[in-house]
Amino acid sequence: MTSTSIIDSALQRSRRSFLKSGLAGGAALMAGSAAARAAGDPLITEIQDWNRYPGDGVDAAPYGQPSQFEAEVVRRDVPWLTADPISSINFTPLHELDGIITPNGLCFERHHGGKAVIAPADHRIIINGMVDTPLVFTMEDLKRFPRENRIYFLECAANSGMEWRGAQLNGCQFTHGMVHCVMYTGVPLRYLLAEAGVKPGGSWLLAEGADASAMTRSIPMDKALDDCLVAFKMNGEALRPEQGYPVRLVVPGWEGNMWVKWLRRLEVGDAPWAQREETSKYTDLMPDGKARRHTFLMDVKSVITSPSPQAPVTHGKGPLVITGLAWSGGGRISRVDVTIDGGRNWRTARIDGPSLPKALHRFYLEIDWDGSEMFLQSRAIDEDGYVQPTKDALRAVRGVNSIYHNNGIQTWQVRTDGMVENVEIS
Amino acid sequence: MFTVGAFVGGVLLLAPGPAHADGDPALGEKVFKKCSACHAVGEGAKNRVGPELNAVVGRAAATVEGYRYSKPIVAAGADGLVWSEDTLSQFLADPKGFLKGTKMAFAGLKKDDDIADVIAYLKTFGGPDKAADAAPAEPAAEPAETAAGTPAAPEMETGSAEAAAAHGVLHLGRPATADEVAAWDIDVRPDGLGLPAGQGTVAQGETIFAEQCASCHGDFGEGAGRWPVLAGGQDTLTRERPVKTIGSYWPYLSTVYDYVRRAMPFGNARSLSDDDVYALTAYVLYLNDIVTDEDFELSKDNFSQARLPNEDNFIEDDRKSEPGMADKTEPCMSNCMAEPAGVSMRAAVLDVTPDADNEDQGAGSVD
Repeated sequence: MTSTSIIDSALQRSRRSFLKSGLAGGAALMAGSAAARAAGDPLITEIQDWNRYPGDGVDAAPYGQPSQFEAEVVRRDVPWLTADPISSINFTPLHELDGIITPNGLCFERHHGGKAVIAPADHRIIINGMVDTPLVFTMEDLKRFPRENRIYFLECAANSGMEWRGAQLNGCQFTHGMVHCVMYTGVPLRYLLAEAGVKPGGSWLLAEGADASAMTRSIPMDKALDDCLVAFKMNGEALRPEQGYPVRLVVPGWEGNMWVKWLRRLEVGDAPWAQREETSKYTDLMPDGKARRHTFLMDVKSVITSPSPQAPVTHGKGPLVITGLAWSGGGRISRVDVTIDGGRNWRTARIDGPSLPKALHRFYLEIDWDGSEMFLQSRAIDEDGYVQPTKDALRAVRGVNSIYHNNGIQTWQVRTDGMVENVEIS
Repeated sequence: MFTVGAFVGGVLLLAPGPAHADGDPALGEKVFKKCSACHAVGEGAKNRVGPELNAVVGRAAATVEGYRYSKPIVAAGADGLVWSEDTLSQFLADPKGFLKGTKMAFAGLKKDDDIADVIAYLKTFGGPDKAADAAPAEPAAEPAETAAGTPAAPEMETGSAEAAAAHGVLHLGRPATADEVAAWDIDVRPDGLGLPAGQGTVAQGETIFAEQCASCHGDFGEGAGRWPVLAGGQDTLTRERPVKTIGSYWPYLSTVYDYVRRAMPFGNARSLSDDDVYALTAYVLYLNDIVTDEDFELSKDNFSQARLPNEDNFIEDDRKSEPGMADKTEPCMSNCMAEPAGVSMRAAVLDVTPDADNEDQGAGSVD
């Protein structure tokens, strides 16, 4: 019986016959220390300022911000990772979030020439190459095409890339925070391509950004015609500048580098372009010196977001919510298993909220923690039957120099004091 | 020849103009691509960021109707500046030196041949030698700049129903002009598609590299700090710490040309000429011992002969053949390990997680 069903059946029993006594018992459990019970919690027994004096009016914050008490919930970067913050990355604070949607201001950032600032009226998108008619679109043109709303995760191929050689960064934000998930509003890419008319033999598409790195990636035409979007909204509002305002490419389930931001050009060709980001980068070096290229798909993956090193257990033993995220570039997540003993025994977690293809899935396992040491892991399985591997299984095949596509199972050690550390176990 | 002193504060003529032999209009057409981002020429050419250039050779300066010139060139024109081959040559060699205060942002053409060629090309659109049979320059139907002074967009048939009906299903957007596509389509493929005309030597590249690249990449491509290492690393790909450089890892030289042209130098992208990029690419080959002669000249013609040593070590994605992915068996759920789990490695030992008082550096890279 799961924790949630225990609660539900207890509620039904109490509603039938023990309503009064049941609630009284619950209240006694909920109150704090013996002293607080005797004198009463001053936060309850004394009238608080916020209960007496009015707060700010509706004109105080035309664009609302999170509560001042959430100031720690921010993206963070790892300064030693890159040469310069202009071409760098920061990380989504996964340990502070819940549900499957990432707030716009917390979506991790990766750019290669800083954030471009482009007025929508000054933005143009060109389609050229092997097309019947090379075209120019304005943002206004783009918004006259039929649009779709789709929820997708975006994961950098280098997410967890610093962990190939072993546990290194002590925080879910840093080990797994190059992922976010929002609802995009955009035009199917195939509508734009149809407008220009792809010529026979046009089997690849080059997407190019307007930023100072003029980011480029080659995308197979089959993918371009399948589910790619040219998106201008995220979570209902305009794209954030760091996410490519005014327009970006959405390449569902595939590595984030291909989701070209500040999208300004789409070129149709008959071969890939071997751009820097698909040759010297985003290729996976194997132990024999060979390197895999065109490793586009993001594999099935999961991580427990709480408890985790930045989200320790502070309440002691008893009811504990273990929660995390699972995703797969191949489609939906069909199951997530969680272990608290480092993989000897597993329990299937509860997936809650929407289960959408190529989107984050939220899972929970509610346990009664006995206060002893735990080794927490999660293991996701997607609808195609792919099972998230252990890190050691990945290393056995790929060595430790791949950088990209590390979807291995993460271990958190929860100590008896509730503190949590990133560890590897054997 | 136009001389200093004919008007106040404008033209500076410090050196005699470059010698101009007869240029080649065909070569000039390629050179003109550098100009075509701002200038149109040919039948129906309109003013854009810069004035249209039909019959510019022999034309009095600052006389195209509807184009809003900068003050210095208006003054120069009023004082008698005529765009002869001489004055044009000097202007194109050093626009801001010849005409202080000009709003033409172009840095100038470095090669006398390019200048002669582009002038020869412009002369095919009318000029003193063939003014009689040249097509009359299209009068500018509309001012090229708005009242507010911002450059107007190129004239397009956006409103025309016939033009719109010519493409697609919804007939949205408008046909791109050849100049527009040329301005943005600078990608180069491994098969050489997209390479521009041009050339540059190792020695030329070394000079440019020292000025524009070495501050990040090091004098010999060894990389400063965490900036990319460009050279060396051969035979390290199977070692514990591979050094992935252009020489040791990159599969194609075209990627070097493409990337340097579109994104380098960091902080001043698109500032290098096509010849500069050939020279830098040649220098990177030299740094990696792939060419050894400082006089080696890389050009569009010999580009595809230069191969990088690691090309054959790239393979297509074969992840799905890995045992863990090929085998989709139901994973173990209980009593999966004989012994209790024990810690084999701790992140806290490395202590590289960022926080207020931790400046240690870890291993790995995200780029």
